[in-house]
Amino acid sequence: MQKVFDAMLGWVDARFPLIKTWEEHLSKYYAPKNFNFWYYFGSLALLVLVIQIVSGIFLTMHYKPDTQLAFASVEYIMRDVPWGWLMRYLHSTGASFFFITVYLHMLRGIMYGSYRGPRELLWLIGMAIFIALMAEAFMGYLLPWGNMSYWGAQVIISLFSAIPFGIGDILSEWIRGDFVVSDATLNRFFAFHVIAVPLALCGLVFVHIVALHKVGSNNPDGIEIKKNKGPDGLPVDGIPFHPYYTVKDIVGVAGFLIIFAAVIFFAPELGGWFLEHDNFTPANILQTPPEIVPLWYFTPYYSLLRATTEEMVTKGLLPLTIVMTILTVISVRNVLAKMAAVGIGSVVVVCLFIFEAKLWGVILMGLGVGLFAFLPWLDMSPVKSIRYKGWMFKTALIIFCIDFLVLGWLGTQPASGPNVILAQIGTILYLLFFFLMPWYTTFDKTKPVPERVTQ
Amino acid sequence: MSNDGVNRTRRQLIGVTAGLGAIGTGFAAVPFVLSMTPSARARAAGAPVEVDISKLAEGQMLTVEWRGKPVWIVSRTPEMIDSLKNLDAIVADPDSAKSIQPDYAKNASRAIKDKYLVLVGICTHLGCSPLAKLQAGAASGMGDDWLGGFFCPCHGSKFDLAGRVYKNVPAPTNLDVPPYSYVSDTRLMIGVDQKEGAA
Amino acid sequence: MKKKLITIFAILLFPLTVAAGGGGVALDPVNINLNDKESLQKGARTFVNYCLSCHSAGYMRYNRMGQDLGISEELVAENLLFAAEKTGDLMKAVMPAADAKKWFGTAPPDLTLTARSRGPKWIYTYMRSFYRDESAPSGWNNKVFAHVAMPHVLYEWQGEQRPIIEKDSHGVEHITGFEIAKAGTMTEKEYNEAMRDLTNFMVYLAEPAKLVRYKIGLYVILFLIIFMVAAYMLKKEYWKDVH
Repeated sequence: MQKVFDAMLGWVDARFPLIKTWEEHLSKYYAPKNFNFWYYFGSLALLVLVIQIVSGIFLTMHYKPDTQLAFASVEYIMRDVPWGWLMRYLHSTGASFFFITVYLHMLRGIMYGSYRGPRELLWLIGMAIFIALMAEAFMGYLLPWGNMSYWGAQVIISLFSAIPFGIGDILSEWIRGDFVVSDATLNRFFAFHVIAVPLALCGLVFVHIVALHKVGSNNPDGIEIKKNKGPDGLPVDGIPFHPYYTVKDIVGVAGFLIIFAAVIFFAPELGGWFLEHDNFTPANILQTPPEIVPLWYFTPYYSLLRATTEEMVTKGLLPLTIVMTILTVISVRNVLAKMAAVGIGSVVVVCLFIFEAKLWGVILMGLGVGLFAFLPWLDMSPVKSIRYKGWMFKTALIIFCIDFLVLGWLGTQPASGPNVILAQIGTILYLLFFFLMPWYTTFDKTKPVPERVTQ
Repeated sequence: MSNDGVNRTRRQLIGVTAGLGAIGTGFAAVPFVLSMTPSARARAAGAPVEVDISKLAEGQMLTVEWRGKPVWIVSRTPEMIDSLKNLDAIVADPDSAKSIQPDYAKNASRAIKDKYLVLVGICTHLGCSPLAKLQAGAASGMGDDWLGGFFCPCHGSKFDLAGRVYKNVPAPTNLDVPPYSYVSDTRLMIGVDQKEGAA
Repeated sequence: MKKKLITIFAILLFPLTVAAGGGGVALDPVNINLNDKESLQKGARTFVNYCLSCHSAGYMRYNRMGQDLGISEELVAENLLFAAEKTGDLMKAVMPAADAKKWFGTAPPDLTLTARSRGPKWIYTYMRSFYRDESAPSGWNNKVFAHVAMPHVLYEWQGEQRPIIEKDSHGVEHITGFEIAKAGTMTEKEYNEAMRDLTNFMVYLAEPAKLVRYKIGLYVILFLIIFMVAAYMLKKEYWKDVH
């Protein structure tokens, strides 16, 4: 038996690098031994990707991408298809859990400086995954063709019309394939959602893991374990991913599935946070829901968008630009850099007067997502991990996390009265976390980093 | 570091965890497999169909849909029923031994009552729906010696007025007879078996 | 420090209170219990006899309802099938939507998912908040859904209500309660009970899977907990090596 197995393995291995791949990525991939709780979320995000693909395939067997049939076909899945309700709840709950795991995975990266060299490209690939995921979620949300699906898509696509010089209107019409969100839009979103974006996602995830295994994993101490090798040439602070982290991740998967199952079976709507009440009414082109609210994972950026009023531009963004320009001019030594800062600053100031607030809202929303990509170059601290950073970085990160949650909450609320002002303060704080990072990471008092990882 | 005791515990724990994992995966696969079985809509569409045959004239045919397939109900004239005997030598399976029909329709006329023939109108060759050529003789365009029956335009299979297939045509067996029963003398229920002893 | 914390909390909680105040009409709580088969059956009877005349429940099949509520196929066919031929049919309204639109000015919405889109409390309160309003085209108005096109279909049961109106400090009029102007065939308690049954049924109608998913979920979670214990022991065993 063993002989036959070995022979088969040998046959395959002579034609495909099976054992080499296994060793390189699992049994001889050395990971730091001090991974903590936060290191579960990478493998969990991968698990959710698999859940989404499998449940998605089974939903596609019954769903109809047609404005006349789409809503009814979802209810058909919920009622007439045996176990269809489970397929749908797996997928709708999975969407939210995808963002939960990815957000926690990103927070882990920010806490322990996982974006710092040599992992900048790894971080950028991760950003690409994040953006693809947002596109995937947005287009998937149109498919049930509920009233919130319809108006949500209408509003978000209209954002593109904020682009000046007539490009915006042409672009949003091109995206919709019509003058409003229609059957054409539904059909192309279906095509993107079920094949184009998932294919890209899978490819990006693969590249993400290849890049990770090239540079090696970071750890809560932010120490490069490859710098400290034993006589056998292996990192002394490393352990083989398999079996140690495979058995550990299985525990994480089990724990995750318990929470996941609890939501699916006991609260799939999660009080309107995972499935919105207004989306149980078919799309009605004549009636906007009383409040258009994206799902929770988009609401922080949605808040940035809504906070950008005419007043916000003049009283918030204008002073912010001037202060940032002055600060940069004072701080950089190079004369050319000083001139560049003044140049960029004045262009932004002029643009702030020329373009309307609607465009700036869209830009801020884009920045809200895109600024994460600059973290590897904004963080100037001599240490990677938050464990050895000083009070300034810690305070900034805590404020940012609270701010992110508050903005997320505000995005689900009516934009009126004190909510608007609160969102505007939140927007400025959000931007400052990134914009001021070069300064507070430079001046922050850091602690000495130990030679070896701590338990 | 490793000794026999440790290895045995490990092997047991691997066995237990892998076993539970396999059981869990197995159970998780069940809903996915079952979701591909006919849905409530398919089953509702496949529900028995009640047909009123009181207005069906002799020598005429009625088509109803059952489970997405055409079902023919032919009211045969006494001459048509008599002609069946003459065809026993020409058809491939005169006693319907190899063909699909409920036991109560496995007889000379392939029907519960001789007069009314009920057939699934799908050719047993490759699934086309044959054309009705009920009238005997040249009027059906099937030649002078045609005794009435059905002709499949796809590959030329011919069937008689009991749905029996002719020899030397592509179709392998007689046309299927669906389960059916008489609710009353003039009402048929397609899809529900005739109870024994009734009618 | 304490003061600071309180201020932070006040800022954080502020939107919460704003949201709570902006909701409009207060809705009455309703006791939903999908294990109460009798209540579901009574609700189904009311729904099919009254609501289904004009409204559809177009995503639901009669036979599914029968199976789930413990009503036999024959009983469904004899007593509940009005607009359909087969028990496997969808529950479409008796009245064609086009006619309804002509008579009421708007097509009566499908009610299959109302309990999910508006919520059980809304249904329960709405059905008990009709009042006489001669200025309305149908002669009826509703506290929860002002100027609703639907007349009070169950007025024979409830009787006729008149609103008690009070002015608030801004001089805006609010309906604070109702008084019975003309008694119906049911007492207030009986009518409330009937509406509770109807709401209960509509909660079921909106998501039939609710009847099974809690039970399955319990087994799934129990299994996962056992699996997690085994996985944890395995992990501990291996991690003995790591120092």
